[in-house]
Amino acid sequence: MESASHLSIIIDFSPQQWHSSSSNSDQGPFSLASFLPQLFIFLNAHLASQHENTLTIVGAFPGKSSVLFSSNEASTEADADPKLYQPFRTVNAAVVQRLSEELESLPESTDAPIALVGALTKSLCYINRLVNPQTVSSTTQNTTLSSAISPRILIFSVSPDLSASYIPIMNSIFCAQKLKVSLDVCKLYGPDTVFLQQAAHLTGGSYLSIHNRDTLIHYLMICFLSPPAVRQLMAVPTEDKVDFRAACFCHKTIVDIGFICSVCLSIFCKPTPVCSTCRAKFPMKSLTRLKEALKPVLPPGIPEPSPIIDSLPDTAPALTLPGGVGMSGGGKGKGKASQARGGGQYPPLHLGPMGMEGPPNGMHHGMPPGGIMPPGMGMGGMGGGRPGPPLKKGQKRSMNGMPQGMMSGVGMPPGGGHPQMDWRSMMAYPPGTAPASTGTTPTPPPPSR
Amino acid sequence: MAGRDGDYRQEAADDSDMDDLDPEIRLSAKDKGKGRANPRVQKLKAQPKEVYSWEESYTRSWDAVQEDEDGSLQNAVGEFLARTRRKRLQVPAEAIRRTIVRHLVLVIDLSASMTDRDMRPNRFDLTLEYAREFVAEWFDQNPLGQIGIVGMKEGIAERVCALSGNPPDVLKTLANRRDLEPSGEPSLQNALDMARGGMSHLPSHSSRETIIIFGSLTTCDPGNIHDTLKQCVEDKIRISVVALAAEMKICRDFCTETGGIFGVAMNEGHFRDMLFDHIPPPAVRNAQNAGAPANGNGAPTNTATGDLMMMGFPTRLPDTSAPTLCVCHGIMKSEGYLCPRCLSKVCDIPTDCPVCDLVIVSAPHLARSYHHLFPVKPYDAVRSLDPNEDASLTCNGCGTAFPLTGHAPLSSAGAADGVSRYGRYRCPECKKDFCSECDVFVHDILHCCPSCNT
Repeated sequence: MESASHLSIIIDFSPQQWHSSSSNSDQGPFSLASFLPQLFIFLNAHLASQHENTLTIVGAFPGKSSVLFSSNEASTEADADPKLYQPFRTVNAAVVQRLSEELESLPESTDAPIALVGALTKSLCYINRLVNPQTVSSTTQNTTLSSAISPRILIFSVSPDLSASYIPIMNSIFCAQKLKVSLDVCKLYGPDTVFLQQAAHLTGGSYLSIHNRDTLIHYLMICFLSPPAVRQLMAVPTEDKVDFRAACFCHKTIVDIGFICSVCLSIFCKPTPVCSTCRAKFPMKSLTRLKEALKPVLPPGIPEPSPIIDSLPDTAPALTLPGGVGMSGGGKGKGKASQARGGGQYPPLHLGPMGMEGPPNGMHHGMPPGGIMPPGMGMGGMGGGRPGPPLKKGQKRSMNGMPQGMMSGVGMPPGGGHPQMDWRSMMAYPPGTAPASTGTTPTPPPPSR
Repeated sequence: MAGRDGDYRQEAADDSDMDDLDPEIRLSAKDKGKGRANPRVQKLKAQPKEVYSWEESYTRSWDAVQEDEDGSLQNAVGEFLARTRRKRLQVPAEAIRRTIVRHLVLVIDLSASMTDRDMRPNRFDLTLEYAREFVAEWFDQNPLGQIGIVGMKEGIAERVCALSGNPPDVLKTLANRRDLEPSGEPSLQNALDMARGGMSHLPSHSSRETIIIFGSLTTCDPGNIHDTLKQCVEDKIRISVVALAAEMKICRDFCTETGGIFGVAMNEGHFRDMLFDHIPPPAVRNAQNAGAPANGNGAPTNTATGDLMMMGFPTRLPDTSAPTLCVCHGIMKSEGYLCPRCLSKVCDIPTDCPVCDLVIVSAPHLARSYHHLFPVKPYDAVRSLDPNEDASLTCNGCGTAFPLTGHAPLSSAGAADGVSRYGRYRCPECKKDFCSECDVFVHDILHCCPSCNT
């Protein structure tokens, strides 16, 4: 750690969520009182790791956000404790004092949403001030921090997503990208928030959902203490399964192919004559064109002939299908036959555990039925067991078989199978040695919002 | 064929006594060239008499800088800086409809005149550098747009890059300066015909724009360039010119007829500013203010209606998936995106699927354009502090303390151009105060007010 790093911590102090967290029996009770000591250890560790490190703590309360502590305006208190490193004491005392003030002033009952966005934007404003120090502002002489400072933000979240805050959160994410600030998210309680997952993914931070919360300090020290430069060298868990698909505005369903209003960018799952958001009328011509494009080329259930696959040269057997990929560890000789079958008749493959005919030996040992790819789940990523990719220009497939050829060439899973499924983890075990149920846990379905 | 009536209109600026100040300050202090750079705005405003800078009345520019009580110039310079930054924020507050799906052809002069060294290191290298920055920033702001690049050299137009929505592709063509070595004469007509042809297939809801970076004072054309101008007007192509040498009549005509912006770069910084002014999406033009008198053929104004666009939201493959070939480059790699229609794997989004031609975007790309649609209202400068109201002592964004007493206004113009002498800028919605840095930051980068969005 050569350069100083700045850490902005945003803590979600939603009274309802913390209350239900402390009385929750599923994951074991975890109250604010047991959270704060672990937080203080983490804060002190951050300050101790480098003398120039700075810290800002912003609390998100219902309807308001306020800065609990900032290294810049920290006042050294008179009652120094000789046994305690003074900066530790300053931080702990300031946070406790400000937090109790804020909690006291909270109204008895409030419906105001948690001001997470406010806290996030305030931190970004502060970081902007740090990164671009203004030479002319004569009042802030102490901001002699160099521009080499590497800022980051850590969010402790307990509340679920607020759909109203989607746009401001996205704006904050893009702003953080521009400032090269990474957003780390530590989810202490409640369901995963897709917005913050996207935030962590887009800014290169890590998203961590804590299950065993009594050992929170271990997670904090290992995952979140190191600055971004160091973190590249460490195997910090990153969120790799982020769903970037959009939900349509009309039915709130996740869509693969959406129809976007060119005026207001509303998303619809099927062509509509009038935009429901901005009332823009769409020309009839494009409506009919788009409806044409939506039609599947073949009625479902009819297996397609696949001349391309059969005529593929023998040279590239390992590139093709997930079955084929799984086979790269297994027998290559038998692989080709199953590839051809997999590419050609993909509808049957939907039903059983996919590619089971493919791997010749032992790959499916101990697999729960449908464990790799339950039809409803694995396909969920690709739009639910659609028989085949419908084409916009129906002639394309019949004319030159291009998409199929490409599919087989680039190793597409047949029939819209989710390649994110676990053939990778299957490969982690040599054939036949796969343990009974571990390692083949199906990937959870992509989170939806 | 085009007249050489161009001259350095801003030449006189070099004689000013403010050379020790930053060029930006000089610009803002005298407000010169700005009005000229935007002929369309002037056209709307009852056509004020255009004045060349050497025809202006003599201004004592050094009087604008005054020392404070301590003999320091810090406040004066600070006010200039604040004014410069705020000037960019003085945009109309009402929601204007903007073109979200943009198509832009960047025409770069690659003629021998680009080797001039009046801009350091020379015009060509500087143009390439700024063009790269411009393309990156443009895609950042307009993720659904496409950029093509056309070069003008040796009397012909050269397609450097076809219209593409993928920033790395476009940047790659600009990265190699060997391929773009300037030579010969430029041809505006050929370049514009090529740009027009490349954009002729576009649907009506997308914009067609051309930005010309023009370093030469001549153009070497095979036919009548005014015919090209007429066709561009008919095709509703918006042409803007950033001239590096001087104003040319034909360039200005192109801009005024098609509703674009014409400007002559005075120096490196001004060049960059003028180029980057084209990054925010333009407002959708109506037929009456198109500034195109030649457009009398009753063309349907269907640019105003919306259209539906079909877009695919791909599945992202995690880094741990098995490596496969991508369709765009044919490289084995693990990560990538699956086109939802044809399931081919592409490296990067947004792009058009090479196999089935579907536009592939992700939800964040759409969200990136939202701030054009829902802009933050401009903050009002606080002119007087009411002692009764308990205004917060610190900025609501960064927490910096406000000055307790406002400094005296430095010039009479101080009150007019929206600079608060208290350094406070108040959000009209939530009535919270922000400092000048946060004001600019919120409107330029953050795009959401820290205290309105709870």
